[in-house]
Amino acid sequence: MAPGLRLNAVAFISPQNEPTLIRTFSKQDESAIKYHYIAHTSLDVIDERVAANSKLSECYLGLLYAMEDVAVYGYITPSKVKIVIALALSDSVVRDIEVNMIFKALHMAYYAAISNPFLALRASTDFVHDSPRSYSLLAGSQKWKNFRRRVDEISRDLGNPMTTNQDR
Amino acid sequence: MNSYPIELLTQLAPVMFVAGLDLSTSPAVDSSDTPISPQPSPSHSQDPFLQLVQRLRDALVSQRKPAIWQPEKSKTFQAILVDKDVRFPPRKLLSPEDPGYASSHSPLSPLTPSSPLYPDGLIAPIWVRKHTTLIPSVFVLFKRLYEFQASPQHPRSPLDLVFSEKEREREQEERRWDSELAAEIALRKRFTHERGMKLTVVLLATRKILDEPSLDTRLTFIRRQSGLDSRAALFVLSPVSQAELGEFISSLQQALYDPAVEYYTSHSKRVRRKRNRHSQSASAYPNPPALASGGGPLRPLRPEGWTVRYEYKMACFAEFRGEDEVALKHYQDAYEALIIMFGSIIILSPRTKRWAEAKVLADCINIKITKLYLYNNEHALAVSHHTTHMRRFGDFSRGWGIGEETYEYWSWMARQHRVLAELIELGTNSHLNSTLVIPIHKPIISPSSTIGIQRVGSPGIEMELNAIRSLIINPNHLLQHPGFYYYMAARCTEMRRERFNAALLALEDNQYHPGTLNPASNSPGFANEKKVDHFVLILELYTKAYEHFKRHAEVHAQTTQTQTHQGRLPLYIAYRIAQTYQDSGKYDMAIRFFERMAKTYRKEQWRSLLVPLLSTWYACAERLGDVDLCVRLLVEMLGYGIDGSEFEDLEDVESRLMRTLKDNKPSSEDPIVLDHLESQPLFDTSLVFWKPEAEVHELVAFQLSLAAPRDRSIQSLPFSKLEIYTKEDDDAPFIIEHVEQSDAEGEGDLVRRVELGQVGKERTEDPIIKASLRWRKGGILILTGTMSSRIPTYLTLSLLKLYLSYDAWKIELPLKPCKSRQPSNALESLWLSCLYPVRFIPITREDYSSVNVKHRPHKVTVSVNHRQPAYLNENYPITIQVTNVDDAELDVVVEVLLLPSDLDYAVNTIAVDEEQSSGLLKGISLGVLAPGVSAIKTLYLRSTEAAGDRTLDISVQSRSTTSATGTSDSSVAYPVDTPQPELLDITETLRTVVVPTVEPLKMTCDVTYRRAIGAQIGLADLNAFEEDFWDDGDGGEATVVSTFQCSGPWGLAIESLVLKRQDVLQAKIMTSSINEIGKDVFPSEYLPGDNFGDICCISISSQGKNGQHIFQPVPVPGEYEVAWKRILSDSEYGEPTITTFVLPPLQPPIDGLVALLNPPTIANLHQPIAMSLTIRNRHPTRSANITVHLDSDPSDGFVVAGLRNGRVPVLLPGGEEKLTWKLIPVECGYVQLPKLRVVDRRKAIASAQGLGGPGTDVEIEGVPVKIVDVRTEQKVVSILSTTGSGGEVKKDAEDAAAVDPNRIADVLVLP
Repeated sequence: MAPGLRLNAVAFISPQNEPTLIRTFSKQDESAIKYHYIAHTSLDVIDERVAANSKLSECYLGLLYAMEDVAVYGYITPSKVKIVIALALSDSVVRDIEVNMIFKALHMAYYAAISNPFLALRASTDFVHDSPRSYSLLAGSQKWKNFRRRVDEISRDLGNPMTTNQDR
Repeated sequence: MNSYPIELLTQLAPVMFVAGLDLSTSPAVDSSDTPISPQPSPSHSQDPFLQLVQRLRDALVSQRKPAIWQPEKSKTFQAILVDKDVRFPPRKLLSPEDPGYASSHSPLSPLTPSSPLYPDGLIAPIWVRKHTTLIPSVFVLFKRLYEFQASPQHPRSPLDLVFSEKEREREQEERRWDSELAAEIALRKRFTHERGMKLTVVLLATRKILDEPSLDTRLTFIRRQSGLDSRAALFVLSPVSQAELGEFISSLQQALYDPAVEYYTSHSKRVRRKRNRHSQSASAYPNPPALASGGGPLRPLRPEGWTVRYEYKMACFAEFRGEDEVALKHYQDAYEALIIMFGSIIILSPRTKRWAEAKVLADCINIKITKLYLYNNEHALAVSHHTTHMRRFGDFSRGWGIGEETYEYWSWMARQHRVLAELIELGTNSHLNSTLVIPIHKPIISPSSTIGIQRVGSPGIEMELNAIRSLIINPNHLLQHPGFYYYMAARCTEMRRERFNAALLALEDNQYHPGTLNPASNSPGFANEKKVDHFVLILELYTKAYEHFKRHAEVHAQTTQTQTHQGRLPLYIAYRIAQTYQDSGKYDMAIRFFERMAKTYRKEQWRSLLVPLLSTWYACAERLGDVDLCVRLLVEMLGYGIDGSEFEDLEDVESRLMRTLKDNKPSSEDPIVLDHLESQPLFDTSLVFWKPEAEVHELVAFQLSLAAPRDRSIQSLPFSKLEIYTKEDDDAPFIIEHVEQSDAEGEGDLVRRVELGQVGKERTEDPIIKASLRWRKGGILILTGTMSSRIPTYLTLSLLKLYLSYDAWKIELPLKPCKSRQPSNALESLWLSCLYPVRFIPITREDYSSVNVKHRPHKVTVSVNHRQPAYLNENYPITIQVTNVDDAELDVVVEVLLLPSDLDYAVNTIAVDEEQSSGLLKGISLGVLAPGVSAIKTLYLRSTEAAGDRTLDISVQSRSTTSATGTSDSSVAYPVDTPQPELLDITETLRTVVVPTVEPLKMTCDVTYRRAIGAQIGLADLNAFEEDFWDDGDGGEATVVSTFQCSGPWGLAIESLVLKRQDVLQAKIMTSSINEIGKDVFPSEYLPGDNFGDICCISISSQGKNGQHIFQPVPVPGEYEVAWKRILSDSEYGEPTITTFVLPPLQPPIDGLVALLNPPTIANLHQPIAMSLTIRNRHPTRSANITVHLDSDPSDGFVVAGLRNGRVPVLLPGGEEKLTWKLIPVECGYVQLPKLRVVDRRKAIASAQGLGGPGTDVEIEGVPVKIVDVRTEQKVVSILSTTGSGGEVKKDAEDAAAVDPNRIADVLVLP
């Protein structure tokens, strides 16, 4: 894809604003928490964008904000799952189309993950009626490795060095 | 921004000097020494001129305040009030008379040795200050115009004798004063002129003077004398109101703006000339004498420096003129030249005074450039310039030895971020002139753009490239609100502190190892840095950032009016603030922030953020010695599964908690309540009910499980009791008290089961049991029990409370009965089926943690009886039988709903007892039924008009009589006034009945018409005017044969069949068979398929009441009424019913011209018979010309006497002619009548004329007229009438096969 883009972190956030999966690909281990914060704070901007344009037909929300050394981009699926990526900030232009392509790939990875039939089996008994959680949360849990593997592959395809960090 | 000289940052505007507005001395002071004082010394406050001066001062000064952000381009001046004798600073050091004047320089020039810039300074703030405060572009002088004051004792009058003398005196006086004024102005004019400034004089005068005719000449005189310009140089102002004053000031500025711009333009031109000269020959300036005399290391300003200097000056002058684009260009040039200078150590050696000055200058120019971009809302360019500036100087810094590892670097970076933040803050501040709009990056990804990117390679698609350009953005150049930049400044300051601490540490090391002394440690910068309280700085910046983020979130929430949870970004800043407080040792402040943040993170389930937060929070609490808080946090940390690795001593949380409990005493007697129901619980709890639904009073089994974490131990936690609360009894929970158990009793098992018995309000036993409340790693305690309810409700557990007791410690731990830590690692919805070995059954329904309790449905049987199909018009009985087979008394009410039928015209009713309705019958009470008793209601359905299905919904509601009384007893549980329907003990039984309905009888009618034979009544016959005169001449007679068939499946007992005559004008029933003989026939019983009938004869008249003709169809003269009863099985009869059948409407044939032949049917041989032919002209308008031919033939069996060929007199409309022949039969048997021909000649003529063609040689005999044999004539219309008056099916009228209407029958001749 785009050679200039360096993916630092990917976050999937459930429609209830709970983190589903947060993967960081940067080298510094101590900055993992930073990306958790970035994922959390970008919800503010996503809310803002969605509220400003309630008839949103486009999933891609564009550049949410730039802070310190990362540019944060957002994406919201039709089922209100939010995807946030943090790209390393460099003094070069970023094409929205390229970012959108990354998002599309991540979205497909998410689709593939929640299409896991065993997930549905598990989720049917996990449904607690006072705090409904879709099984998007499940997809990101430690138990299901396929999802994180796909996300990591996307990151690798972008040309990022593989560094797996622990998360959640 | 405060760290930079304000002169280099403020927005420049043309400067106006205002003189002569001194408050202490009135502008009229010049005249005070004259004997005729113009002012009779009024008090200062009342003097209109003093007030005017005061207002002018205020208004002029408030025109423009020096500010950094001032984008608007209104033509306003920076007004400075000066003394009227103010002197400008000299242009050059030497006086113009000095011979060295030409080669000398300005006192601020680097070439002047006394200048602070000597010898190689670039530009100093003092230069800007000179142009903003010491030298104006325009000079406005306020003077009082002399006014001759006539003595009040001598009112001036034209009649006055001394008038001319006075006038002369006045003129002289005025002229004297005016000359003085002009001289003074001329002096001032000389000063300003040589500096190229515009001088404008404003003369203050009373309103009276303005009206005097001599004013013009006086003003002209003053202007000429003083040498003022002809345009915009002389104004006259009288004391006016505030609003008018404002107008005056704006018009003054308007008039002076162009001269001011000219002034600055001329400066620019001068500087450009110098720059051009300079760039042409680099050594245009001779080296200053100081260098020539070998003044040591002093080096003159380099050509690059001169470029900077000149460009900067030109930029400033352009800014004065308000030409932002030009200013921007010159600033950029100056900046680029500066960069070149910084690039070389030789030109600017680092860490010198000039270097520091240049750095400040570069920063300031950068701010100016950024600001100018932002004025135009060119965000990307502005931010791009700023970031480039930071990057470039960051790179330079490395070369200068103040790279990223030094605090100086980070200090500078922080300042740059802060400056940008402050600039944007100024630009967006709503109180100031906020013109800056922070953009939102909104992508538009359209399908066309994806096409565009594929074609990027192909040239010439300019438009698409443009489209792509709009879709790309450099995130680095994104303009965001100032909070982001304050945040960055704070981050940089944190780095600065870190580096400084490192340097301090290194210094301490060096003290132990003398000899390797760091030279930096002694530098003044380091000493300065020591004095800085970094934490205060960081907190200030973070607080500013926090405010901005918060305001932004609030503004957004207001504009979109959403209640979404905003404020995650401020929360992040709050996190940084808390950390800073922690680092700076202000733990109490940090804790306050942590508390607030934890709320959101708990609620939103962001464990990853909460975990480090809890650790830091705990560290703070520990430092503060807040034991209660420590305990709270430790328990919460246990819930989140934080292990000891977060702590320095790696002690795990459990033992740390136990140690804390052991070593400390609680701060108060009250139990500590850990009410974080939103946070991750210590136990995975799960409540499972076996059944989804239950009846009232039924015991429902449930299992409540508490699962300890699997990855860490909580075995040592001293739980003392567990309370289980249900919804309805908050005050009396079920209590499980801890009791120590030996391993043999099952504590060693992973899964333990404890039987609770009945839980909840309905329990009977003592609500306390004892069990072990210790959990092994991953241990599960399953509490099994039953619940019941006496009212319908959702049965579940509301809360669990776990108590920890240790010495004086009492900790209360509320838990939700169904909540797991992680979404996927619980045993929720599993039902323990067997303990040895442990087996679970998954309960796969959605709401497994509650039971829906309902009333037991009443046992009521409802049977609906009727004999279908029903007949139309019949009162069809339907019996509803309700039997109470329950064991309690029931109050039964029935409702019947007749559904609307989709059949046309169908009108149906239902009736019970006295009530009747076409829709709903409500509240049919069957009374209170004791067990085993049944009640019957008969419902009558009456369907009319159309056969088909009728549908009834029958609802039987049974209400328990006991529950009604129970309701009033326990008014607490449900208020009597508003009983909720679902809580009432009502059972509804529904039945739907479909009743097919058919017709009992079908009527078929055959109608035959005959023409009237009798002669028509003459026109003048007086009988026609009789009341009872009946003229059937045109109508004739109809015979109706009606056949009734029993079409239904049930037999009918026909009571009577009556033909009811109806009074209509055109028809009357002559005879009816049923009326004559039917009395004996009925009543009698008919079985399905049986027929009965009637024949009636109806005479038809074509004339209405008043003699006018009424045409078809003829209204029905009567209807049959059939009274019948349904024959039930055992010689019983149903309800008597009357069905009516209407006779069909009559349509007698209409003739035009007709000939009716009326011979006898039987004749005797050789006995003459008469044969008559009646020709009627029934045509309404035409007359008829008729000829009659009788063609006798030798073979005829008759001898004919009478007309053979003849013409009948013309028949008028309605006319009739009768011809008669005598015939003598000469043969026996069926003898054919002689052939008759009746021809209408009129029609033939008409047709011949109509044709008119030459070839029409057909016989023009005429058109034959139909001859009707009245003996055989009949016209049959068969009508099938289905119901009494319903739809009719008309069969085709003439049954041609039966009788040929044109045939003339033979005559039977007997011997």
